[in-house]
Amino acid sequence: MVMQILLGPQNPVPNLRQAIEAINADGPIVVITAGWRDSEGEIDEMREIAGRPLEDLKLYQRAEEVFAHEPALRELQRERQDKLTALQRLYRIRLAPTLTAARKLMRTRAEPELLRLEQRAAISQLRALDTHHLRRIRSIHQNFNRRRAGLDIPRALVQRDEVHRLVENAGLVLIAGGHVAVLLNRIRLFGLDQLLAQKPVIAWSAGAMAMTDRIVLFHHSAPQGKRDAELLDAGLGIVHRRVLLPHASTRLDWSNRRRMALFSRRFSPAQCCTLDNGSMIQLDAEQVTDVSDSYIVARTGRKKPLTKT
Amino acid sequence: MNLQIDNLFRDGAPTAVKIAEFIQNNRFPMVEPGHVTFIFQGKADEVNLRRWISGLSTAQSMLALEGTDLWALRMELPDKSRFEYKFETIRGGQRDLVLDKLNKVVAHDPFGANSVCQGYGYTRPFWTLHDEESRKGTLTGFQMHSTVFESRRDIQVYLPARFRRSRSYPLLVVHDGPDYLQYADFKTVLDNLIHRLEIPPMIVAMTQSPDRLVEYTGDRRHARFIGEELLQEMNSKFPLVDSNSGRGLMGASLGGVATLHTARHYPNRFGQLLLQSGSFAFSDLGQHQKGPIFDPVVKFVNEYRKNPFALAEKIYMSCGIYESLIYENRSLVPLLQAQGMQVRFEEARDAHNWENWRDRLRPGLSWLFPGPLWMVYE
Repeated sequence: MVMQILLGPQNPVPNLRQAIEAINADGPIVVITAGWRDSEGEIDEMREIAGRPLEDLKLYQRAEEVFAHEPALRELQRERQDKLTALQRLYRIRLAPTLTAARKLMRTRAEPELLRLEQRAAISQLRALDTHHLRRIRSIHQNFNRRRAGLDIPRALVQRDEVHRLVENAGLVLIAGGHVAVLLNRIRLFGLDQLLAQKPVIAWSAGAMAMTDRIVLFHHSAPQGKRDAELLDAGLGIVHRRVLLPHASTRLDWSNRRRMALFSRRFSPAQCCTLDNGSMIQLDAEQVTDVSDSYIVARTGRKKPLTKT
Repeated sequence: MNLQIDNLFRDGAPTAVKIAEFIQNNRFPMVEPGHVTFIFQGKADEVNLRRWISGLSTAQSMLALEGTDLWALRMELPDKSRFEYKFETIRGGQRDLVLDKLNKVVAHDPFGANSVCQGYGYTRPFWTLHDEESRKGTLTGFQMHSTVFESRRDIQVYLPARFRRSRSYPLLVVHDGPDYLQYADFKTVLDNLIHRLEIPPMIVAMTQSPDRLVEYTGDRRHARFIGEELLQEMNSKFPLVDSNSGRGLMGASLGGVATLHTARHYPNRFGQLLLQSGSFAFSDLGQHQKGPIFDPVVKFVNEYRKNPFALAEKIYMSCGIYESLIYENRSLVPLLQAQGMQVRFEEARDAHNWENWRDRLRPGLSWLFPGPLWMVYE
C-alpha cells in the first residue's frame, strides 16, 4: 500500500525529518516547491532538515519556460484561469447570502423541531452550492484538458516526460506549502495526478491541501476582516473525505462555536482536520495509521483529537 | 491636574532644576487612559492649544502654572485617538503658531507641519513602517497630454517588486498621489502589503491636479481625464487586468469628491472605490454654508442623492470622528448601500489629516483588492 504523511507548517519547528524516517522509503527524494513561486527551488534549509539529498522538480520554472515557448498553451491556460476567477466571483455572490441565512438560523430561537429542519435545509443548500461549484470547476478543467490534447506542444511534452521520469524513479515525493492554487495548477499542468497517487508522499500545508478532493480556503482573521470559507477547487483526489486546515489555530476563530459548528457541518461527511506546526497525519489506504497534534472540527464547533482508525 | 504636575508642585513652585528634571523625565503630551495633558514652556501673555477637532472650539486656553514658565492643559481624550495641533502664543499682542517643542512626533502636509497627539493606546500601525524584508517596488513616471484640459499632466507610477510585462496587474488610480507618497508613506504601505500578500502586486497611477479646488469639485473635464484619457494611456503603457473589478480609484478630502464624481460619470469603470474623508457637502434645504468653492460639490452630491445608482462593485469609506465631514460621510453610507453596492465604512478616532488616511489604507486596500494571503498556506 502507498503511504501518505500530511504535516502542518514547518515553521518554527519542522517535523519533516521524523516523517521521512517514518515512511522509510528507498530511492531518491524529489521535491515540489511550485507553491513558493519565484522562490521555488530554495531548498537548502529543507535539505539540512531532511538530512538526505533532495531534488526539486522545478515545476514553476518549467511551466514558465513552457509558456514562453508554447503560446497556444499559454493562451489556453490564461483562458482557463480567467474562467475560474470569474466563476469564483459568481460563486461568492451566491455563497454570501446562503451562509448568512444559515448563520442566522443557527442562532435564532424557535420551536426546536421546526428550527432543526430549517437549519438542516440551510446547510443542505450550502452543500448543494459547493457541489454545484465543484462540478462547474471540473467541467472547466475537462474542457481545458480536451483542448490541450489537440495542441501541438512539443516543448511541453519534453518537460512533462522529464518530470515523469524523475517522479517514477523517486522513492518519495515531498510537496511543500505555499500558494495552493499555483501549486495545484503546476502539478496538473505536468499531469502528475495519477503518478503521485502511486508514490509515497509527504505533503505539508498547501501541499497537503492539494492532495485532497476538495480545497477549502479559509481565514477568519484576514486583514480585511472575517471572510467566509470558500471552495477553491477539486484537489488531486489522493486523500479522500478530508478538508485540511493548515494554520488552523491562527486562521480559524475557535471562540465562535456557532461559526465553527457550521463550518464542520457544511463540509460533512468530510472530516475537517487541523494541521498546525507539529501536526502529523499518517495515512495508509485511507486509514489513519498514526497521528499527532491534529484535531477535527466537531459538529459542536469544538476541537476533537483526530485518532487512528 | 495631572499626577506628575501635582507632584511637581507638591512643595510649592518648583525650581528651574526640578522643572528641567520634570521635562527630561516625561514624554509630552502626557497621556493616560481617557486624558491627555499638554505642556508648553516659555514666556507669553497667553497660550492656547489650537487643534482641529470638530465639535470642540479650535482654541483652548492653557493655564499658567504659577511661579514657572510652564503652561498646562488637561483634556479628555478617548483612548487610541490621534489628532494634530499647535500652540498659539500671544505676547505683546503678537500671535504665533508654534510646534510643541517637547513632542517629537510631527506630521507633515502640503501646508507645513503639525505636532501630533497620540492618545493612550494609539500605536502607529507596523505596516506603515519601513520593513527591511519587504521587496521594494519602483516609482517611475511619464507625462501625457490631456485633450480635455489642453495641458500636460505628470503621472507617477508605482510598479510592484518583480514586475513582469508578461503578467497582468490590477490598476489603482490615486488622486493627489504624490501627497500620499510624501505624507502617508504610501510607497512603504504598498511595498509592505504586497510583500505580506495582503494585496496583490498592482500598478498604481498617481495624479496631481494643478488646480484641485476647481478640478476636484465636480468638474466633468476631470472625470473625462481620469475615466478615459488616463485609462487609455495606462492601458497602452502597462499590462493591466482587463476587468472593472481589477480597477480602483481613490482619493481623500476633495480627492474623495473627485473619485465619486468620476465614478458617477463612468459607473463601474472602476470596480473598486476608496473614499477617505470625502468632502461630500450637500444641503437638504436652503443654501449650504460651506462657501462658494463647494457650490459645484453640493450641486453634484445633491443630484446624486436625488437620483442614486450603483457606481462600483465595492466602496470602502473612512472618516475621522473628529472632523466635521463625519456627518456627510455617515449620511452617504446607507444611500450607497441601498444601490446594491458592497460598502464598508470605517470611523476612526482621528481628524482630517494624512496620517488618518495612511492608517486606514490597509483595511481599505486589502478589502477592495484581497491579496493571495487567502491562498497561501506556508
